[in-house]
Amino acid sequence: MHTSIIPRFWMTGSTNRILLVFGLLASLAGCGYNPIYQTTGMVITGYSESEATPYVMQMSDANMACNLGNSLDPLVYSFGRVTDRPDTTGSLLQLLAANCSEEQAWEEELRYLRANYQGDVPAAKDARNAAKRWHAITAERRLKAFERAMRAYEYDPADPAAECPILHADQDELTFLLGLLTGLQAIINDTSSGGAAGIPKDIAPQAERAAQCLDNEKWGGIPDAIRANVWLLLPDTRPATSPDPWRVLRRSAELGVKAGFRASMALEVVAAETKGRDDVIANVIARFVASEDGFEVSEDYRLVDRVGRSVILHGSDKHWTEAYGYRTPRTYFGKMSPESSTDAEVMDLDSLL
Amino acid sequence: MFRKATAAMLMALAVTPVTQALAQSQSQSVSMCVFDVIGANGDVYNLMKDYALEMKAHGVDYKLKPYTDEGVALGDFQSGQCDVLAATDIRIRRFNRFTGSISAVGAIPSYDDLRTVLATLAQPKAASLMKAEGYEILGIAPAGAGYLFVNDRAIDTAGELAGKRMATLDYQKDAIHMVDYVKATVVPSDITNFAGKFNNGSVDTAYAPAFAYEALELYKGVGDRGGIVDYPLAQLTIQLVARDDVFSEELAQASRQEMWAMYGQAMALVEKSEENIPEKQWIRIPDADVQGYQEMFRENRMELRDGMNGAPEVYDPRMMSLLSKVRCASNAGASECTAENRE
Repeated sequence: MHTSIIPRFWMTGSTNRILLVFGLLASLAGCGYNPIYQTTGMVITGYSESEATPYVMQMSDANMACNLGNSLDPLVYSFGRVTDRPDTTGSLLQLLAANCSEEQAWEEELRYLRANYQGDVPAAKDARNAAKRWHAITAERRLKAFERAMRAYEYDPADPAAECPILHADQDELTFLLGLLTGLQAIINDTSSGGAAGIPKDIAPQAERAAQCLDNEKWGGIPDAIRANVWLLLPDTRPATSPDPWRVLRRSAELGVKAGFRASMALEVVAAETKGRDDVIANVIARFVASEDGFEVSEDYRLVDRVGRSVILHGSDKHWTEAYGYRTPRTYFGKMSPESSTDAEVMDLDSLL
Repeated sequence: MFRKATAAMLMALAVTPVTQALAQSQSQSVSMCVFDVIGANGDVYNLMKDYALEMKAHGVDYKLKPYTDEGVALGDFQSGQCDVLAATDIRIRRFNRFTGSISAVGAIPSYDDLRTVLATLAQPKAASLMKAEGYEILGIAPAGAGYLFVNDRAIDTAGELAGKRMATLDYQKDAIHMVDYVKATVVPSDITNFAGKFNNGSVDTAYAPAFAYEALELYKGVGDRGGIVDYPLAQLTIQLVARDDVFSEELAQASRQEMWAMYGQAMALVEKSEENIPEKQWIRIPDADVQGYQEMFRENRMELRDGMNGAPEVYDPRMMSLLSKVRCASNAGASECTAENRE
């Protein structure tokens, strides 16, 4: 057969020669040797890391940022097939995409609470189910963000004796830190999904250990806030000599305000929700709104502050929807009831009547 | 089986009209003419939409209609085309002199004092003061302090106003008296044209809430040489008025409390408008001058209360007394608090 085909191949005209060239190119591309793809991949991933990431971190539009994660992750991370895996950028993109799906989960949670308030059981169940699905998607995305961040810095979180990674620049430190944070969040989302995503729970103690590799003050208390959250989630992980987790969270929140990004305050709300501490939730929300006065947001990490704000606003919205059937009215953010304006001083009217 | 189904159908037929009738009897349909300079996309109209939603919980189904001309809104209300009117207190004065006197000149020098006044008036105890001559006030919301806009920063004392042309609302008798008092020239205007007159230089000064700086482009009239005097000439409010047979006493009180609950929302808009004015445009006046102004305003208020020295009788004595009490509660050391002719 071969002998009959090959001579015929060579004997045909120019059309067949063109086909042959395409065939060779196709086989080269299939083997990952396409120089154009490789170059493009290096350019795109390099640009993402050096320009796009700092730009995104400075954004104040969290919704646009999350949509960027949704749409760009498949494109950027696909270059991992032709060049090195872009794990640093890939971690951030998954993290942003997870914020998008969590927003959906939050909306469904509020719909559930509204329906519950109105006594509409089927609508409440439907919303609960929808929320669980979005939480599962969020948990999966966050697990990916965590794994990519760990891989990017060749850190094996499962190794109890792992040395801290070498983080060259602030951006590396932040990527690693946010990776740990999303790992912790993945577990919480998984719980909210009813365990649908199957996130390994040992991410929590791993994140707790790795958080010690970062400067707590420099990063607005986030590393310690992660640790305190893990201690509250899994009390066994809490070192014997550690301070009270609630005090750690409070101190971290203060450091966050000082640093110009209030993610630690959001972590305080997350911890309070986990433990059902409504008093702490009300207190953090009030402190967050009070902190707006004279607050100077960090130019470089504005997005971190905005995402933190949305977590706290959602905490407030849940309370309002549960208690009153609607989310927080704009001018009541910081207060837990609509009666707050009745505390105004009044004058005696007897002499006028 | 058939009997059961038939009975269920009959029950359903019998119950449905009863339920519908019950729902209709519980819900009261009320129309409201809303004045907003920008119409249905304005802050006041938006505030009224929130208020209407709150009132739904009390069984009131509001139908809102926007008006960009306050005079037309007033006319339609008076001719019975709407049950409730939302307008500035200057227009509301004719229906209730007591609440219409909140905007008395210089009578509420701070937003803290304004908060106390409005909280006091929202109490059930104040209900009788809300009714006058067949009309009832259903709520009051702040619209911001009125400030003096000038096209020349040199006009920063009352003395400098002498001879200057001032855009004055032609139906605001107290303002006309005040302009005459400082020997300025009244240029009769209305809400829709005073900004144009200030911006094209036909008048030297105008008074308006901070909201007008951007919305009515008063920055054009202020220019590089002008400014805004940082002293509240008066506190403008939006008030809801209805014929007193429209709402029951309980509903009217509920309405006033709902409007009071929106104080924070309304003030957030006011504060935002004031923050939007660049710092360099404000003309800060010395404390010593402020005391002088306060006494000047006080004398004017008493004239406008008693109809003395050629002033029309505009202000309600009870409101003047209440506002004086509020001022003295927050600033007990003021000379007016020990004056013999205290308001």
